[in-house]
Formats: sequence, structure tokens, C-alpha cells
Amino acid sequence: MKNIGLILGVALAVVAAAVPAFGTPYMMGVVFQVAMWIALAQSWSMLSATTGYLSLGHAVFYGVGAYVCVLLTGTIPFEWALLAGAVAAAVFAAIVGLPVLRVRGPYFVILTYGLSELVRHVVMRIESALGSFGRMIFDVPRTEVLMWWMVGLAVLATLGAYAIRHSRFGAGLAAIREDEVAAETVGVPVTRLKLFAFIASAIIPGAVGGLALLRTSYFEPAQAFDPVISFTIVTMALVGGTETVRGPILGALGFALLSELLWSSLPQLYMIVLGLTLIIFILFVPRGLSGLFGRLGRAG
Amino acid sequence: MDTLLSGQMLFAALVSGSLYALVALGLNLVYGTLRLLNIAHGDLVMIGAYTAFWMISLFAVPPIISLVVAAALCALLGWAVYVGLFRRMLAKPELAKRVEANSLILFYGISVILQNLAALAFTSTSRGYQYLDTVITWQGVSMTGNRLLTLGIAAAICFGTILFLRFHLFGWGLRAVIQRREAAQVVGVNLNRVQLLTICGGFAVAGVAGVLVSMTEQITPFMGFPFTIVAFVVIIIGGLGNIGAGVLAGFCLGLVETYGIALTSPGYRSILIYGLFVGVLLIRPEGIFTKAVRS
Amino acid sequence: MAFLDIKGVSKRFGGLMALSDVDMQVEKGEIFGLMGANGAGKTTLFSVIAGHVAPTTGEVVFDGQRLTGLSPSRVCRLGLCRTFQIVRPFAGLSVAENLRVAALYGSGRKLTSTEVAAVVDDALEAVDLTDRRDLDGGQLTLSGQKRLEIARALATGARLVMLDEVMAGLNPTEISAMLTTLERLRTERGLTFVIVEHVIGALMTLSDRILVLDHGERIAFGTPEEIGNHDRVAEVYFG
Repeated sequence: MKNIGLILGVALAVVAAAVPAFGTPYMMGVVFQVAMWIALAQSWSMLSATTGYLSLGHAVFYGVGAYVCVLLTGTIPFEWALLAGAVAAAVFAAIVGLPVLRVRGPYFVILTYGLSELVRHVVMRIESALGSFGRMIFDVPRTEVLMWWMVGLAVLATLGAYAIRHSRFGAGLAAIREDEVAAETVGVPVTRLKLFAFIASAIIPGAVGGLALLRTSYFEPAQAFDPVISFTIVTMALVGGTETVRGPILGALGFALLSELLWSSLPQLYMIVLGLTLIIFILFVPRGLSGLFGRLGRAG
Repeated sequence: MDTLLSGQMLFAALVSGSLYALVALGLNLVYGTLRLLNIAHGDLVMIGAYTAFWMISLFAVPPIISLVVAAALCALLGWAVYVGLFRRMLAKPELAKRVEANSLILFYGISVILQNLAALAFTSTSRGYQYLDTVITWQGVSMTGNRLLTLGIAAAICFGTILFLRFHLFGWGLRAVIQRREAAQVVGVNLNRVQLLTICGGFAVAGVAGVLVSMTEQITPFMGFPFTIVAFVVIIIGGLGNIGAGVLAGFCLGLVETYGIALTSPGYRSILIYGLFVGVLLIRPEGIFTKAVRS
Repeated sequence: MAFLDIKGVSKRFGGLMALSDVDMQVEKGEIFGLMGANGAGKTTLFSVIAGHVAPTTGEVVFDGQRLTGLSPSRVCRLGLCRTFQIVRPFAGLSVAENLRVAALYGSGRKLTSTEVAAVVDDALEAVDLTDRRDLDGGQLTLSGQKRLEIARALATGARLVMLDEVMAGLNPTEISAMLTTLERLRTERGLTFVIVEHVIGALMTLSDRILVLDHGERIAFGTPEEIGNHDRVAEVYFG
């Protein structure tokens, strides 16, 4: 029962692996999307579900990864560009982490949002000063290859989130979530652990940003740092449930399917549903889908 | 350099400053009494702007009358939020705790819903209309009637509110709630009533600001969010819950922004605003000029 | 050299001298009482020792190690842990998990999972919380949460524990149970305690020596008997 998140993750990976055999490009696109949101929501949970520092700015890591990747593709193989994207996101997190993590509660939420927007506008400014209003990428890998990479990142993020939760590190983060002062008093190096969690939660989104860029083969700062990405991550994770590793998977699955149904035809309606679901879950289902299923499972 | 020192620049700065002060005033009132950082505040500005636009294009009702309509509409929304959410929260402490922790995310959800409802209903096309836009020149400063009106009404509401808080009994009660919530209740302030009236008032002020904005700027479903950010910058600089300093900070931000852009380029506007936003939050999230209000 | 040596510690908050030039020596294995009216500086002194607040002047030496300037988590890993007057359990974690965190981080070295489990069981046993190990920290009664605070300090492997009003808010039965627990911890484990207490009877019974603070200054020091007969203390404290 405890390993259900892992089982679910592995099962998803297997299904994803089977898809290309009989799958259409459309199906591969869907798997790519689902895997992307799982990877992002799991990464978010490494910081926000464990410590309770809710980030509404994870788009910044995705965007930094995408930006570094677009600057490097063509000069080095794409695998290395992805790695560079992940490293850049981690470095960015390491630089801003200490001051940002001093801010708590709702202020932390708006600060992460504002920081992400600030970086977005700075990159937009740089790009327009360079006279580029978007960059095309040529020679992108095949969809199948990209999908495989994304599934790999989703599995990696899930394993990472699982490992953190069940480690000494995770116990320290849980203590920080409950009471930072008390945690410090019993020997938890609060500042350091928070920073590590922040960096850990930035790495995979950096690579995800790079992959998503290769998939669209077009970079535009306004899109790469779109705050809708941050909002979607938070909604998926909270609706899925933050108490278990399977929560983000459930949330990502649910919304990715909904997005397939609505996003292309009625994007506004999709956003409205996203917002409504989030509000309903915060108010009435605080433990998310995962908690809901858990309770049903126990009752049955 | 001449343009920088001209009355023209000062006038522009005052107009945008008065708007910022007005938008922030509403946010600050709501934060002060309900301890709610309403991230959907700017969307009320958007609602006010659309109200004015539809009133004038469908019924030829001038914005000066729409001010009242928008205020009423937003006040009604405030009432709905209070009765629908806060009354319930007060009844259930367990819910209150949850909402408090997630309040910002919750209201971000509300903001997303309002924006997309507007986009669904009115499309994303930017709208605009013309009202009092003939240029008047006075002492070498050219201004339009709508900007003068904006400055006049915004400044009047801001200073009126400050005077009201200082001299009217209800204003005293409100200030008492902002400063010492529990103590205010002990001395007989009706917390419920103060909170309800403040949230209605705070929302109404945002609606009014929206009508004023609509006279001079493009109206879109997503126009509100930048106002939320600006309002946050203003009240964090002025001090959360500190109404008077907030108004002052609003005018200051108008000056900084107008002159900052004049010295660089309009492309830097967002960077300036978000830079200030991140900066003030990092330096002192509880407010720069404020003494510790929270106990 | 004393186990815990506080040398000329002063702390100024703006214009207020919260502590002025306080000296205090705690010997290994004793229960050292701190007394004083509200605002006398007891809690500030705790915060300075534990590393939450940096002293304006002076230094704190514990077991030969200088603590001044270290973070609270470092201080804890060196073997000195405090509890809080207003309890701060990890409310959403079970009692056992509360202690597990303390065991994992408090000792400053990596314990094996068997060692951690042993430390947790031992700490539960020491404060009689074994039967409530699976309850959430927030579900305990006040008395239970005060015990949890002590257990958590024990689980860090602390050799000196500072207790900030662990008796406050407890009823007489609970107080006498707490007294027994503390006495037992001292005799069986050789722990050293510094305690702040408003329940004067308890303080007098437990302490080997007592230091009295008033407005941040040291006004009396001695055995409970000496303190009971001290004129200035009577004047300041008992009114």
C-alpha cells in the first residue's frame, strides 16, 4: 500500500513505453503532456508538499531551462542542452534561494510569483533588445524520442519525490513544515534543508522546460515563463493531494485529460474549470484525490 | 531634461499615482481588517472597467454614472465573498486554518476564474471608448478632461477615506480592528459589521478605479493583474494596514514609475514594477514604514 | 570549569536592556533554577543560550565549546536543547515522528534506523508517552504536549536541557507527576537541567541552586533556602 505511488509510476512508464508500438503521434503527444505535468508536479511537491512553502512561481525554472536550452541547441547535442537547462535552473534556485526562503506564508507565495514574472520580463527585454521576438529551432529529435525523455523525467521525479519523503532529509522538511523554530531547536539545519529542497525542486523542471521547447521547436519568453504553468502545477498537486507521492500523479492525469478535451477548443473554459476545481478542493477536499481514494479504499 | 521638469510629466505622474493610491487603498482596507491578501483585487478593477464600457456603449450612460454602478456591483461581490466564505470560516475553525494557509492560492483561483469568465463573455479583444478626451491647456500643461477627472475623483476618495477614518466613529472602529483586533472586540466594536462593510467598501473602491482606468486605457480581461501587483507594491511600501501611508506610497510610485520610464523606455515598466515588488518583499514583507501592527 | 558558563551576557533590544552583564555557572548533573518576575529576562537568557538571539556582549560556553554565534541547530547538536513555554509540537506529525526527527538530527551524527527506533522508544518511556506514540502531536493534552517537548529534547541526545515553564498550566496532580519525572531523569540519566518556573513551590523543591533576575540583572543567587530568606528577592518577587 505504501508503495502505490511507485507502482503507479512504473505502470505509467510501461504504458507509455507500449504506446509508440501502436500509438499515433497524437497519442505520443498526450503521453508527453501527461508525463510533463507529472514531472513538474512531483518536482513542485519536493519543496512545497514537504515544507509547506507553496511556490506559485515554478514556471521560472521551466523557463530558465527552456531559455538555456534554446541558446545551446545547435552547438551541442540536445541531451547536453537539457542537462545544461537543468543545471541552470538549479543554479538559479541556489542563487535566489536564501533570500527568497526567508519570506514565509502567503508572502512566499506572491514572492515566487513575482520573481517568476520579473525574470520573464527581463528575458523578454533581453530578447527584444537582441532584436529577436522568438527563436525557431531546427533539427529537433523525433516525437518518440522526446516522449521517452519526458517519461524518464516523470519517473525520475516520482522516484526523487518518494526518496525525499522517506529519507532523513524528508523528516527534517516535514518538521520545518510543522514548526520551523521547533525544528531548528531539535537540531534540524532549517536554512540549509530549505535551500536543498528548493534546488531539488528546480532541477527537473529545468530539463522539462528544455524538452517542451524541443517539442514546440519555438521559443518565446512570454510562453516559456507563462504564469499559467505555475498555476497549473499548483492546482494539479493540490487537487491530487500533497500527502502522498501518488497525489501529483493523479492530479496530473486528471487535468491532462481535461486539457485534451478542452484546451484547444475552449481554453478559457479549461482555465475556469481549473480554478473552480482548485477552490473546491482547498475548501472541501483538503487531502485531494489521493486522500479521497485512500479513504474509500480503507472504508471498502 | 526639459520634459522631465515640465508640468506635463508631473501631471502624468499625479494621475497614475492617484490611481495606484486608489487601487491600493481598497486592497489595504481589506487586508487590514480581514488579514486577507486578495490577489484577485485587480480583477475588480477589470470588472469596473467593463461595467463602464458596456454602460456607455450599450446604454450611452456616461462613466460618471457608471462609477456608482461599478461600485455597487463590486460591493455586492464583496458581500458574496464575505457571507459565502468568511462567515463560514468563522463558524468552522478547521476550515479557517486551511483557508488561511491557502488563501493566496485560493484567491488566485478566483482571479483566474474572473479573468477567463470575462474572456469567455466579452472575448479577449481590447475595448475602449472616448469620453472627455478634448485637450485643455492650462499654464502650458496639456491635459484631457478624463485625466483631470481621474485625478480629482481618485484623490478625493483617498483623502476622504483618510479623513473618515480619523474623524468618524465607524472609522475609529475600523482603525481599532486593524491595529488590535481582539482588543477592538472587547471594547465593543462589532467585528462582523466592520469587516463586512470594509470588504464591500474595499471592493467598491476597486470598481471605481476600474471605471476611471477605462476612460483612458484599453480594457481587456487580463488588465487587472498588473494593478494587483502595483497595489501590493504600494501597500508593502506604505505598510500593510497603514491606510494613510499607503496613499502616500501610491503617489510616490506614480512618480517613480513615470520618471523611471521617461529616463529609460516604456519597455522597462514591468521590470521596474516587478523589481520593486520582489525587492520590497525580500527586504521587509511586513512593510517598510510600518511598526509591528500584528501582535 | 563549569558545564555551562555564561560570562557577562548583556542583551539590548532598542532602548531596553533585557539582560545586563549576567554571569551564571551551571554544574554537571544539577538542576539549576531561574527565577524572576515577568520581563525579568529569563526567556531572553534562554534564547541567548540556545542561539535564537545573539547577545549584545558576553559569551556562552558549554562543555568547553563556545556557543555564541552558533545557530540553534548547531547548539542542539552540541548537546544543549531547550523547550518552549508556549509548546511547539510538530502538530501534524505523530508523537513518535516528533521524536524521530529529534533523534535523526539532534545528535549531530548519523544513527542507524535501529538506533533511532531505540532512542524514540527510550524517550517515550522516559516521559510516559509510550501508549500515545501514534497520536498526532497536536492531539495531546497540554500536559502531554509539555511531556512531548521534554521527550523531544531527550531524543536529541542533549546532555543539558533547558525547560521553560514546563509546569505552567498543569494541575497539581500533573505537576507532581512532572516533578517525579524530572527527578528520575536527573538521577537515572545524569542529565543537567536549567529550569524557569512560575510555580515557585516546584522550583524550590527541584532546584539545587537558584539565580534570581530582575529587570535583566542578577539580584540573588543561592540554594532554595537562601533564596527564600533573601530580603531583596522577597521584596521584588513576593511583593
